[in-house]
Amino acid sequence: MAKPVNAQSASLLEIDRRAVRKSRFGLRKHMLLYLMILPGFLYFVVFKYFPMGGLVIAFQDYQPFQGILKSPWVGLKHFERLFTEPTFFMLLRNTLVLFAMNIVFFFPLPILLALMLNEVRHRFFKNAIQTIIYIPHFMSWVIIVSITYVFLTVDGGVLNELLAAVGLPKISFLTSPEWLRTVYIGQIIWKELGWSTIIYLAAITVVDTQLYEAAEMDGASRLRKTWHVTLPAIRPVIITLLILKIGSTLDLGFEHMYLLLNSLNREVAEIFDTYIYTAGLKNGQLSYSTTVGLFKGVVGLVLVMLSNRLAKKFGEDGVY
Amino acid sequence: MKNAKKARKAAAAALCTTFLLLSACGGGGSQAASGEPYDENSKATISWLNILHTASPPTDTVLNKIEEKTNADIQFSWIPDASKEERINTALASDSLADIVTLTLLDNSSVRNSLKSGLFWEVEPYLDDYPNLAKISEDTRKSASIGGKLYGVPFQKDLARNGVTIRKDWLDKLGLETPHTTDELLEVARAFTEDDPDGNGKNDTTGFVDRSDLIYGAFKTLSSYFGTPNNWQVSEDGKMTPEFMTESYVKTMDYMKTLYEKGYINQDFAVTAKTDQQQKFAQGRAGIYVGAIFDSKNLLNMAKGIQDDMELVLVNDITSTGSEADRAIWAANNGIGGLLAFPRSEVKDEAELERVLKFVNDLMDEDSYALMTYGIEGTHYTVDGEGAATITDTDLWQQEVQPFAASRPKESGYEIHDADPLKKESDKLIAENADYAVLNPAYSLESETYNTQGSELQKTITDATYKYILGEIDRAGFDAAVESWKNAGGAAIISEYEAAYKAVQS
Repeated sequence: MAKPVNAQSASLLEIDRRAVRKSRFGLRKHMLLYLMILPGFLYFVVFKYFPMGGLVIAFQDYQPFQGILKSPWVGLKHFERLFTEPTFFMLLRNTLVLFAMNIVFFFPLPILLALMLNEVRHRFFKNAIQTIIYIPHFMSWVIIVSITYVFLTVDGGVLNELLAAVGLPKISFLTSPEWLRTVYIGQIIWKELGWSTIIYLAAITVVDTQLYEAAEMDGASRLRKTWHVTLPAIRPVIITLLILKIGSTLDLGFEHMYLLLNSLNREVAEIFDTYIYTAGLKNGQLSYSTTVGLFKGVVGLVLVMLSNRLAKKFGEDGVY
Repeated sequence: MKNAKKARKAAAAALCTTFLLLSACGGGGSQAASGEPYDENSKATISWLNILHTASPPTDTVLNKIEEKTNADIQFSWIPDASKEERINTALASDSLADIVTLTLLDNSSVRNSLKSGLFWEVEPYLDDYPNLAKISEDTRKSASIGGKLYGVPFQKDLARNGVTIRKDWLDKLGLETPHTTDELLEVARAFTEDDPDGNGKNDTTGFVDRSDLIYGAFKTLSSYFGTPNNWQVSEDGKMTPEFMTESYVKTMDYMKTLYEKGYINQDFAVTAKTDQQQKFAQGRAGIYVGAIFDSKNLLNMAKGIQDDMELVLVNDITSTGSEADRAIWAANNGIGGLLAFPRSEVKDEAELERVLKFVNDLMDEDSYALMTYGIEGTHYTVDGEGAATITDTDLWQQEVQPFAASRPKESGYEIHDADPLKKESDKLIAENADYAVLNPAYSLESETYNTQGSELQKTITDATYKYILGEIDRAGFDAAVESWKNAGGAAIISEYEAAYKAVQS
């Protein structure tokens, strides 16, 4: 193992020395680094930026058999329809409320759990817990929603049978709009809580142990150490993850919500993702659903930029 | 189709077509001279984008026989029924089609648009060249047409297949008669819920078991019993009314509401899937199933080993008034199961089209029908002197034959029939239903608004119907939903249909 590494670093130095003299932009100098970026760069160009060209169909009456070139241009017709659609505000509200609930109720939990796991001294116990709480992450939403269905259904669901056994009225969790959000967030917590602790745990391990020792010398309790040493140390990680989360949370997860959605809870459950599916793919209104998707993307971008600016205001680095 | 002989084919196509048209060839006797592109004896390679109604695609056993019979090499691409809307739409959008495409959702806007845009061959002029295709009735051709043009071979289904399946052994046990009015049905539902029909001393049964489907579940069939039109009603003077603006629709909702409130129906029907519904019935947790009459055979099969006492009675003559004159049953898609369409991008010239049509024609032969319905004689079924077939190995049949059932271009009018008494009975009742079938007068009419926004709008009504049944909104709330349907485009649909209706009538 040792030899090739040495050889490589030697050649790196070689390139360095030669490049410094010749290149003004550092292109030569860092050629290897640039080469290493290349696959990722190509990935983004081919799979992320290139398909964005397809967004032009939001301004067309796109007909598949005519293609992008021949389909008629209609300007902002689809945007007008979206903003005047009676369901528009319902969609925006549902999406934003669930987004906010996700940030408020779900986001802090992995931090808390990671801090708690960090305090566990027994290695075997800690590893066992970690393994167990990671498992739900690998289950698909279909399975999780089905399990929930079995637990919550009115006809013989475990929870409702329990309620009935203690003399309480049954609750139709699956069809009542009041319960939808609770069930939705609950499922996310159950599925993703364990997995989300990984990055925090990694961040905690690099905290300088000298700081803990110093705190101990000053007579700090474990709670104090957590509050004054661990938390401040992982703060940049928390902020970064929060901004990333805000960027991606508008993608509330089509599959998850689509499985929970039914005629009776639609008023709170229909979100942009499910609307795009029903209006776009099932009804074949490709242009219109592209418009909805574009709008969703813009809202997401605005949220990320706002939170990034906010983070910088509070003296953090932000993500860009 | 094979690309190999493309060039030669193209050259000979025009000549051959003229020849075919002049001689009405392909009908039976005459055929193109050997070496011509359209050669009946040549083995054709045919790809077929088809809908799968079972859990897994069929194995090759029966397929090989069908290929032998039709002299074709068939390559299926199966689309699960549950995801057909998106899959067909993406296939159309990306032009990844096949020689034959099964289109079942003719009111889907992108399907309609692509048909109208000429993506598929218009087949009407060719049909009469083939003995089986020529027999497709004028009515069927007309209702399967879009804008007066027929863009594929229509699936000929039974007109109206729905009815009520009831536990006969439970009726007998409780001393009840088979119901023939909606009130009697309600009484049966009450007794099944409250009088412990399975005699286990526990309050663990309901009358109805339904699923989250207002159309193929109980609702629409019950609505027919109350005299509700099939989607649209057209008056003498050409005024169109959607079904949910009629009083009988409200009556049906009230009926369902009563069932729900009194607990005569599974309380979670609004989120129950079809398989769960059938399981519940098979497990003896409910005694009334409203849906396709032929489901009864399945239900009985599923109950084997769980509810061995199960006996079923099929009812198709329920009315709300008890008078024969009021009998009615809605006809799904007016009896059109969809189209077998042939995209121009795959079926390049008329010669190829003729060969594919010949293939579809052959699929409608008695032998092919038997293959696709019962399987291979001796392996899957036995048949007696009268042509009554008995399936001998149900498991094998389910794996190897059943997936083909939905691909049969024609489902009735054959010699061979099922010996199973329940299946025979359901076939009889379905045939009877045809005399009372209620058609949708707007089925072949065009409405631009309906095409683009129809199903979005329908959601408003579906949601409101469920809410009314579950008691979350009252009549005023339902009327408000209808009002918002009108304002959001429903009014435009009504006027567009009225205009289209007028155009057709004059």
